[in-house]
Amino acid sequence: MNRSVNIPTTQTSAMLDRTYQRLTNRGKIYGVLLFILGLPIHIITILLYYFRKSQNQYGDVYNKYEQEFVANGQLDIWRQLFLEQEQTKASFFNESLTADQLNKNVDLLVQGKLQKEVEKRVEAAGLEKDTYHHYFKRLLKSRNFLIISAIPGILMYALLLLYSNPFVQFIFERVLQTLFVILGVATLVFTILYISPLDPARNILGIEATPEQIENFNRLYGLDQPYLAQLWHSLSGLFTFDLGTSFAGKEDIIASIANKFPVTLNIAILSLLMAIIIAIPVGIISAIRPNSFMDYTFMIVALIGLSIPSFWQGLIFILTFSLELNWFPATYNPQNWLSLVLPVVVLGTSLCASIARMTRSSMLEVINEDYIITAKAKGLNERKVISKHAIRNAMIPIITVIGLLFGGMLGGASVTEKVFNISGIGSYIVDKQFIPDIPAILGGVVYIAITISIVNLIIDITYAFFDPRIRSKMKKEG
Amino acid sequence: MKVISNLKLLLKITQEYGNAHFTLSFSAIFSLLFLLYSFNFSTQSIRPIVLVFFIIYLLTTLYVWFISKSIKKDLANEREIQNRTRILGYPLILTVLAGNVFASSYGISLVSKNKTPEYTFAAYALLTQLFIIGISGFNLFKPYVIDTYLLAIGTFIVLAVIFALMLVLVAKYVTATSAPKWMLPVGIIILIPVLSGNLFSLLLGVGLIKKARQKDASSIEKWQKMWSKILRNSMAVFGMFFIIFMFSLSVVSPWTFDYDFATQNNYSAILQTPTLEYPLGTDDFGRDLFSRIVFGAQISLIVGFFSTIIPAVIGGSLGAISGYYGKKTDNIIMRLLDILYAIPGILLAIAIIAAFGANTVNLIIALSVGSIPTYARTMRATVMQISNYEFVESARALGASDSSIIFRHIVPNSLAPMIVKATLTIGGAVISTSSLSFLGLGVEPHIPEWGNILKIGSTYLETHSYLAIFPGLCIMLLVLSFNFFGDGLRDAFDPKTN
Repeated sequence: MNRSVNIPTTQTSAMLDRTYQRLTNRGKIYGVLLFILGLPIHIITILLYYFRKSQNQYGDVYNKYEQEFVANGQLDIWRQLFLEQEQTKASFFNESLTADQLNKNVDLLVQGKLQKEVEKRVEAAGLEKDTYHHYFKRLLKSRNFLIISAIPGILMYALLLLYSNPFVQFIFERVLQTLFVILGVATLVFTILYISPLDPARNILGIEATPEQIENFNRLYGLDQPYLAQLWHSLSGLFTFDLGTSFAGKEDIIASIANKFPVTLNIAILSLLMAIIIAIPVGIISAIRPNSFMDYTFMIVALIGLSIPSFWQGLIFILTFSLELNWFPATYNPQNWLSLVLPVVVLGTSLCASIARMTRSSMLEVINEDYIITAKAKGLNERKVISKHAIRNAMIPIITVIGLLFGGMLGGASVTEKVFNISGIGSYIVDKQFIPDIPAILGGVVYIAITISIVNLIIDITYAFFDPRIRSKMKKEG
Repeated sequence: MKVISNLKLLLKITQEYGNAHFTLSFSAIFSLLFLLYSFNFSTQSIRPIVLVFFIIYLLTTLYVWFISKSIKKDLANEREIQNRTRILGYPLILTVLAGNVFASSYGISLVSKNKTPEYTFAAYALLTQLFIIGISGFNLFKPYVIDTYLLAIGTFIVLAVIFALMLVLVAKYVTATSAPKWMLPVGIIILIPVLSGNLFSLLLGVGLIKKARQKDASSIEKWQKMWSKILRNSMAVFGMFFIIFMFSLSVVSPWTFDYDFATQNNYSAILQTPTLEYPLGTDDFGRDLFSRIVFGAQISLIVGFFSTIIPAVIGGSLGAISGYYGKKTDNIIMRLLDILYAIPGILLAIAIIAAFGANTVNLIIALSVGSIPTYARTMRATVMQISNYEFVESARALGASDSSIIFRHIVPNSLAPMIVKATLTIGGAVISTSSLSFLGLGVEPHIPEWGNILKIGSTYLETHSYLAIFPGLCIMLLVLSFNFFGDGLRDAFDPKTN
């Protein structure tokens, strides 16, 4: 990136100029941001600008054209027109305006019109309005200026380069948004726990604890500090992976989370795979033969799957498959892969049902599109139409939904983990909430939210590369 | 060739024929379930009562099969269903005594040629009332009943008779577009049973009043069109029936059920298996599971309702503002809601409950906060679309203020997707409520709530599995009903399917 700035060609400078123009048009915030990032350059160029200002001709030409209009008597014609317009308007709305008010309105309109017309003329004469903004843009176009200012303005150029390509811009903005969300989540969860009326010190030390003991406890864990200090401490702890020790048990929080997180993730990913393998073919079959017996059966089963409370499903599974039939163990054991089967099925059920329903509706929408009819009309057999044209287009919303549902599944894992006695992150949070063990809950919730945000970020970015519709939309907007 | 293709089409568009198959499959499924349950595998014996139920359901199934055959014959020969086939529906109505709501409602719909929405409402109002009488009737086997019991049951029987009468009157006099003038006071009177939670009578009353007043033909047509679309979907109707039945049951249960049976410990009857006195058995404190489940419906519906309506109002307003103003307002509101959206609902609820303690109010708040963003997104998308319509433009040109444009013109026109969304998420809220209670994070443990009941049941899974099975079935049925009803509403409101 730096090299392309250091060896500017006319192309890069044109590109920079274009991006600069686009960004400043997008809103004030971008203008301010560019100004701050390029502050070292601006200090010098502002001086240069005021030094040269005396030599510009814009003001003279402007005055000349203005005089011309006044001399032509154009003003009176306009005045007449606007007066008529204002009178009609007043009579239509039944407003009674005094002559004074009327004149004032007309004057304003005439002045506005004059300014517009003159500016149009001046522009036609090839002169740009000489503001600092225009001056700086002219400078950006020159190659020598770029070479000189490359080092001091590196931050500003970096931003311009990021925004010069719609893809890079999209990824950059999406990453920024994710960072904002992650910070927001951490702050929100911390704030909720901070304003809690519950007192961890009392819960751990017991009712008989003396005030000194409680004070000591609070000082030890920094609970006596003001809100902002605690927030800063927690945020920096979260992002440096050092949350200290838990209130009860004195274990290292990050170490326990690192132990438990893979267990949850493992089960969640297996459930996701199971759901995708079952649900997508089911959804496609339902959509190809809508309102058939098979479709009804699948969709009713899917709706039942969506309506079953996962903990109850877990209990029933344990009852039938563990206690009665003795096929699978009732509780989770990392050494025995058979013990994974029940939790994976239970966790994946509702996800599977949602994906099947989503696949069906998305496929139905696609199947009625014109291009599918075209494909059929040109003689492709149905299998090819479905596999080549329909599924590929129907998959786009499905993958987004899978990304979103994956998050819900990680959250819902806490219930399943409790039923099957799995020591994952979900049951860890539930166990810690009774105290409440603030750093442990904060860590658990925020790390799950971060995982979800990153998964969704990756899905979004992958789309930008694969979906031509999103690509063309980005180009248009940029 | 032409006749056959016509017959196929005719069979497809004849609702009675499609519903016959529907009733057939459900009765068949239930008879199969009864057959399986009639044999006690562990003691190698037969349960005679269940076997009787199996035989009744089997006969019903065969009878419905016979009806579907004769409908097919009628349609092939005469192009419409003959009266002698319709008469076959009357015996089916009696299956309500065996609890077969599918067959009896099919019977009611078969006997009348004139099927207005009001006819269906009257039929389901009657069925709801009969089911409530049936469920409350189990209390007769208890050692004593609550003081208001006889009065309440008497009222229910009177109501059932009134609904049966209304059914006949509506079939005779109400048409798709009008009702006779004297139906107006009848419609007003029929609004009173709403106090018992029977919302079908509310719908019946409103429909009758609308049609009897003959004020606004377009609104009658809208009403007729909307309901006939929703009622065409049998699953949606049964979902609606079960929701209203549960609602009505939880409204009237304080007058027919004794709360003491559900909460007071009775150490002389610990962990009893199902008998007539304790239809679903008792738990480890000797509390009657049946009464507990009935009272649990109350709390599930309350939590489900509030944790849907609160985020729908907050999220809906935020979404409307953000969709209407767009640009910066939109950006700020939606980015802030993205933060909420990034935390899974259950985890956020756990964090909130961890901070403020486990009780019903906190549970409602915790569940509400998490679902604000989804409502805001739904509302925003609809409002963005509607703000571009001409009637908004014209309201603005007439000088209406922004707030009046949003709340008087845009919001009423964008309610349909919100209603569908809300119906579909109440089910989710019911599941979350019981899940959190199951974890010990929801409703206080002493309140009979389905999740709490299941929590006790889970400890007796090996020995007394019915303690875990029945409350779970109730949760599933209620959620399933909300989902079916929501799907039906979506199909009716969605312009794509129209």
